[in-house]
Amino acid sequence: MGPLIDLLPLSYTESVVVVGAAVLGVAAGVLGALAVLPRRSLVGDALAHSALPGVAIAFLVTGARDPASLLVGAAIAGLIGAFMMVGIERTSRIRPDAAIGVVLSSFFSLGIVLLTYIGTTGNAQQAGLETYLFGQAAGLLERDVNVMAVIAALSIACVVLALRVIKTTLFDRSFAASVGVPVRVVELATTALLVAAIVIGLRAVGAILMVAMLIVPTVTARQLTHRLGPLLALAGVIGASVGATGALLSSRAEIPTGPVIVLVGTAVAVAAVLLAPGRGVVWRWAHRRRERRSALSSGVLIDLETALHAGPPPTVDELVLASARPRGDVRRGLRALDRAGLIERDDDRLRLSESGAAAAHAALDERRLWSAWLEHGWRLDLGDAREPDPRDLRRTLGDELTDRLLGFDAEAAPS
Amino acid sequence: MSDAMIIVLTAGLTATALALLGPFLVLRRVALMGDAVSHAVLPGIVAAFLVFQTRAPLVVILGAAAFALICVLAIEALRGTGLVASDAAIGLVFPALFALGVLGIHRYAANIHLDLDSTIYGEIAFAPFRTLDLGGVEVVRSVLIMGVVAAVNLGLITLLWKELKVTSFDPDFARSIRFSPTVVARLLLIAVAVTAVTAFESVGAILVVALLIVPAAAAYLMTDRLVAMVAIAVAIGWVSSVVGYAGAVEVDASIAGAMGLTAAVIFGIALLASPRHGLIARAVRRARTRRAVERALAEERGAQGAGA
Amino acid sequence: MAPALDIPALEVAHLTVSYGSTPALWDVDATFPSGAMSAIVGPNGSGKSTLIAAALGLVPSDSGRSTIFGRPAKEAMRRVAYVPQRESVDWDFPITVREVVEMGRYAEAGWLRRISRSDRAIVDGAIERVGMAPYSRRQIGQLSGGQRQRVFIARALAQEADLLVFDEPFAGVDARTEAALLSLLAQLRDREGRSVVMVHHDLQTVRSMVDWVLLLNVRAIACGPVASTMTPDNLRRVYGAADIGAPAAEGAAWVP
Repeated sequence: MGPLIDLLPLSYTESVVVVGAAVLGVAAGVLGALAVLPRRSLVGDALAHSALPGVAIAFLVTGARDPASLLVGAAIAGLIGAFMMVGIERTSRIRPDAAIGVVLSSFFSLGIVLLTYIGTTGNAQQAGLETYLFGQAAGLLERDVNVMAVIAALSIACVVLALRVIKTTLFDRSFAASVGVPVRVVELATTALLVAAIVIGLRAVGAILMVAMLIVPTVTARQLTHRLGPLLALAGVIGASVGATGALLSSRAEIPTGPVIVLVGTAVAVAAVLLAPGRGVVWRWAHRRRERRSALSSGVLIDLETALHAGPPPTVDELVLASARPRGDVRRGLRALDRAGLIERDDDRLRLSESGAAAAHAALDERRLWSAWLEHGWRLDLGDAREPDPRDLRRTLGDELTDRLLGFDAEAAPS
Repeated sequence: MSDAMIIVLTAGLTATALALLGPFLVLRRVALMGDAVSHAVLPGIVAAFLVFQTRAPLVVILGAAAFALICVLAIEALRGTGLVASDAAIGLVFPALFALGVLGIHRYAANIHLDLDSTIYGEIAFAPFRTLDLGGVEVVRSVLIMGVVAAVNLGLITLLWKELKVTSFDPDFARSIRFSPTVVARLLLIAVAVTAVTAFESVGAILVVALLIVPAAAAYLMTDRLVAMVAIAVAIGWVSSVVGYAGAVEVDASIAGAMGLTAAVIFGIALLASPRHGLIARAVRRARTRRAVERALAEERGAQGAGA
Repeated sequence: MAPALDIPALEVAHLTVSYGSTPALWDVDATFPSGAMSAIVGPNGSGKSTLIAAALGLVPSDSGRSTIFGRPAKEAMRRVAYVPQRESVDWDFPITVREVVEMGRYAEAGWLRRISRSDRAIVDGAIERVGMAPYSRRQIGQLSGGQRQRVFIARALAQEADLLVFDEPFAGVDARTEAALLSLLAQLRDREGRSVVMVHHDLQTVRSMVDWVLLLNVRAIACGPVASTMTPDNLRRVYGAADIGAPAAEGAAWVP
């Protein structure tokens, strides 16, 4: 990572932190998807917390704060925690959420007891705990970043190589098992990869905030793509950018790195959920609103046409009564129709304009076609599993099929 | 009262307050909402300090409750979009709020005498030294506060017993008789937040989760009655307090940690040895059934052999 | 008792509900008479459960209204006992048969108050009526599918509602229990004049036990007395090609 660190137009320490956060972001982004997609996001939380006793025991055994042995200890404890979680879930009536909670807090309690025990036997300060919980990005050394980069590269390589197997297992576990994928092994391996990501993150952002690092990139990427390969790549990129941006911001403002990275990430994820094109909340809200309005105005149009058919031009009140819709809806529908020039007002009585009559007939045809589809659609013998858009049958079915459908309808109609 | 008794009493009352609520979280499959809420209250504590410059319990509790509500509403809003699964929604919201709290503490720690240690790890060993003067009588602050919270929680679940039961068991039906599951869920999580924030001082954020979930999960393995489940959870809380304290003193380690660890060991025992749902009981039952079936089959075959 | 249509037990008009952009119900008009046993029938995905939930105001509708005994649904929910499908129920929940049936009295007791002595008597009666008295202290998960459904019907009985609404009450229930429960519902109708509306998939039962039927496939295809509504033609319109329950299936023996 040396050349990259030299390349950045920042001071050396800043560069180390920024590159470290970016490496963490890539790893957490790609590997976090393995937890988020099968809806086990909070497993990351449990694994991060269950690493604590591992750190403490490594410390007790080696008697020194050697980063490598602490990481190994964390990884082993994390894996044991993962095993226990699966074991509790499989063998008892305890649900996944409670199993995660039990493992998380049991391991953490054990960790605290061990740490305080170490503290009182005089070997070291308890300060290690704070580092573990909140990370200490500022204290990252180039050597640490290199270790992180190697672990990240190896783990991501595993994911890339096993992409197809992982995809099958994540999507449909029993199918994967039925075609001979060693499902248990794959699940164990993905958990191990997750532990690797967490081990990378502990130094930089700490246990509590690690869960956000695992989730943010996948949630964000999921709003932008539907495919697993691109999703993983995108999650890596997003994780890296979030990490680097957060690290930079925090070093400029001289505030703790972990929380800033997490807040930046959460903002990015929320923005994606709100604004993602074709999917985001804002987009869907606008789309829904448009659809509702057009459904309402065409409904009111048909009501008016029906009323005109039945008797003299109605007043608004009479139309409200005839249409069984709330008054406000009718008024809103009428306003829209007015704007489109589809109705004419004759004192307080309502009529259809010429284009309005045409539109009403088109809407009625549409409605008849939809009825015909529900009733006779099965007779069409569609070669494929087409499910046409109910709002635009003619276009989605094609003219020929539509005409046949109307033919069935005419046959069935009482003559 | 001796110091040891005060500590055990504080711990027991804390565990009681939490164990009264835990069973409902476990049964509603929202155990991790307890985790989320107890982390998310941190900015509330900080905000209460910043705005009112006080550590008065009521102000802190209000601040915490406000952020618990924010946390719950934010998680519901994210989940409601249909774009984020509920576990991911939890995992997005609470670290963000927690991060906000950490930043707040870091920024203003100097002027408000608030440190992470007291909220994250807690220190129950100091409980005997913090006393209040109540009309001339000296009372231990933590015993008083935790006693009140435990009593309030007891009152709450007694009062809302049937509401909690019906909305947890059959939310669709509850809605049809106008018992809103959402309202009950929010009340429950606010109670969790208030309890958590008062418990922080004694046992810290993460052990709050331990005492909230682990006794309840262990009790769930031991009984098929709701009343019994709550009672057993509370009992486990007390056993954890007593044994945890004794153990901690023995090896000179964190009392709160030892309490959590004791609860974990009890869970392990329940998992293995619970009379109905334990692994041993189930293995014995299965073996017995298999033997019975084998015997019956053998007899049948024997009868056929004799007949032939 | 003759089905009474002057004040229907349940009536929906112009009910339209959509999930996303696909309509689940489209402009449905339907009337269910009081004092009768009615069924809602239709293929999978035809919106049967949605119709019930929307009519009771439990899911929001895009347009339309629904009335229960002539009053807006929201005001008249006290008179309804609703038995939803069993998907949301947690069978491991630590709760006994009796406690489940007691829930039928919760609405009467209201928030925060305990149920009274007279409520307990009603609960006992309901448990007795479905034949679950010997099991009243069992945990709900230790019962068979048929026994579980008896418990939920007992809960509905305990509500003492005038209209009982069931969503697929006999899914996963053995034939003996189904017959017993159906005759219990018929008793409720005949002796006490209660109204029953249920989503049901077995056309055979509907033909023999039910008075009134709504054929639903997103739209209401037909609604009326069973004899005149369940015509082969209407059934074909509801079910399309797979016209289960058409006369052939009903009368003719299967010839190899």
